[in-house]
Amino acid sequence: MTIKILTIEDDERIRTAVRFALEDEGWSVLEAETGEQALEDFNSMNPDLVLVDIGLPGIDGFEVCRSLRRASDVPIIMVTARDDTHDVVAGLEAGADDYLSKPIAPKELSARIRALLRRVKPEDSTSAPRTVGDLEIIPEEGVVRKGGEEVHLTKTEFHLLCELSDQVGKVLSREHLLEEVWGYDYFGDGRLVDVHVRRLRTKVETDPAHPRHVVTVRGMGYKLQA
Amino acid sequence: MKVRGLLWRRLPLRTRVIGAFTLGAAIAALVLVVITYGLSRQSMLQQREESSQRQFFANARQVQSSLRAENPDLTQLLESLPSLSGSRSIVRTGDETWVSLSLTPSDVPTPLISSVLEFPQAKTMRYRLDDKPVLAFGLQLQPSTASAFNEVAYFEVVPLTEVENTLESLALILLVGGALTVLVGVGIGLWASGGLLRPLTDISDAATSIAHGRFDTRLDEVKDPDLDALVTSFNEMAAAMETRITRDARFSSDVSHELRSPLMTLRASIDVMQHRREELSERTQQALDLLNDEVLRFENLVQDLLDLSRSDSGPMENDLVNIEELVKATLALSDGRIELEIANSAQGGLVMGDKRRLAQVLDNLLRNAEKYGNGATRILVSSTGTDIEIAVEDDGPGVAPSERELIFERFTRGAAARKRGTGDGAGLGLALVDEHARRHGGSAHVEGREGQPGARFVVSLPKAGHR
Repeated sequence: MTIKILTIEDDERIRTAVRFALEDEGWSVLEAETGEQALEDFNSMNPDLVLVDIGLPGIDGFEVCRSLRRASDVPIIMVTARDDTHDVVAGLEAGADDYLSKPIAPKELSARIRALLRRVKPEDSTSAPRTVGDLEIIPEEGVVRKGGEEVHLTKTEFHLLCELSDQVGKVLSREHLLEEVWGYDYFGDGRLVDVHVRRLRTKVETDPAHPRHVVTVRGMGYKLQA
Repeated sequence: MKVRGLLWRRLPLRTRVIGAFTLGAAIAALVLVVITYGLSRQSMLQQREESSQRQFFANARQVQSSLRAENPDLTQLLESLPSLSGSRSIVRTGDETWVSLSLTPSDVPTPLISSVLEFPQAKTMRYRLDDKPVLAFGLQLQPSTASAFNEVAYFEVVPLTEVENTLESLALILLVGGALTVLVGVGIGLWASGGLLRPLTDISDAATSIAHGRFDTRLDEVKDPDLDALVTSFNEMAAAMETRITRDARFSSDVSHELRSPLMTLRASIDVMQHRREELSERTQQALDLLNDEVLRFENLVQDLLDLSRSDSGPMENDLVNIEELVKATLALSDGRIELEIANSAQGGLVMGDKRRLAQVLDNLLRNAEKYGNGATRILVSSTGTDIEIAVEDDGPGVAPSERELIFERFTRGAAARKRGTGDGAGLGLALVDEHARRHGGSAHVEGREGQPGARFVVSLPKAGHR
């Protein structure tokens, strides 16, 4: 089955050029010109990944991310014209899994898409179920339970938690997590990790403001503890 | 005089203000002390002289009248004379005959004696007798014609010890007072210079803050009308500068953003064509390569412009960056002919900053060496106490000393770059290196290599905790 990618972009020329480039990779490309149209057609399209431009007319990319997140775990790559901290963090908090700044080189784009799609089926985590405090993680089923109740995580959040739980109590640097979870080299953006950790905390911590499980070790990284 | 003026001017302002106050106070105190002492001394001595003189004349008259007698008993007479504050008398009755109760002829100075004998007027003389200050009076007397006395004169010696003691005490008091005045002068100088320099210190702090990129720095308003003008114009200048810098930054940022969308279409389209390269004729392939190169150059230019405008205005990520890891990761992306040397002291060295900007600094230095210096030959990471230094060396033509500062300016390129024609950079790479380094509290410069051709670009960054 071919992988379907939905691109939400108002600039027709960019949309077409990106479609050509992605089709060259063997993926099938679905297009939406506005956020409204994308949300309307999302269920019928059922894409494997969404590429969303932040600067859309009508409802903007952030809002599209939030709406999609409410309905689906589909991996989302946000495309920004600005890579200011504000835009990047806002996009990630809205639910994007990764971001790219224009102008995007098709090679970079397909590399990111591949990394996200790969991530949907975590293979490199040892798949045995593990328990950390009141958290129960079952990698094979993609299930996390907190105090017996199932917690809903996106694929990226789940992969991040699995990576952390592989080495409970050990501090993992942001570079390491970027490489393992996002497939970035040393120069990946550490904000990806920070925002995802924050989002993960809102789901697995009893009090996200005072995390007990996913702990920041200043200047070094993060660790998972019971 | 000129030299002294220069010396004075070379002193710090604070020292000069304090110095001026001290000098002023010292001069005022000195003048006051000298005048007070001089006047007091003069008037005290004069008073003493006048009262002693009155007494002397009274005594002299008595001696004179007793000389009318045929054979006067001068000793008895002298005994009967009143002695005012320890004055002592001596009468000369002839060449070698003197009558006195307590004085000897040698106690009276010879010049006084001769001048008294020569002139009929009374004479006064001040001198030291037995190391004590005294005042001596002398007057020629006229003995009766019958007497055997010849060249008779009456002398009186009045001690001035008391006056002298009083003057000494006065001098002491005046000196202490003068010293206190000078001290007060120093104190006022300190206070005044503090008050005078505080606004200057504030302004200097504000200017430094602006120079470090905090363009919203303003001075607090003050009540003082003189300072208010300065504060207002300083703040106006800062505001004008801020507006201008923000506008410039926003302009280049807007332009770059507008350029991003068409660039993205270009990039994607070219890649699609590259993908179908074999379907194209050789001539079309060549044209595609040209297009590709130019778009790449364009992309780099827009990226550099964007980074520069962000460096002007954007917030910076603040993380602990391990320089050793950063350099190694950057080198891993290059073709690996570059020698890496990390000094022991710099191993594991941490810098507080933005990893990707620091990576860009290094990347730009490598690209620069690639373009103009036949490629980097060596990277040396070392530590100098509070800083970590990253040096990128090449064995190219080097940079002429006259151009070593210039090449870090935006849109300027050195002679080596100009010789290469317009084909390469726009002269933004090193400007970015400089600005990123400065945003991290560090600096960038270029130097020659000792005894070898080539250039050494050095970026110096403060270690975490030393900024």
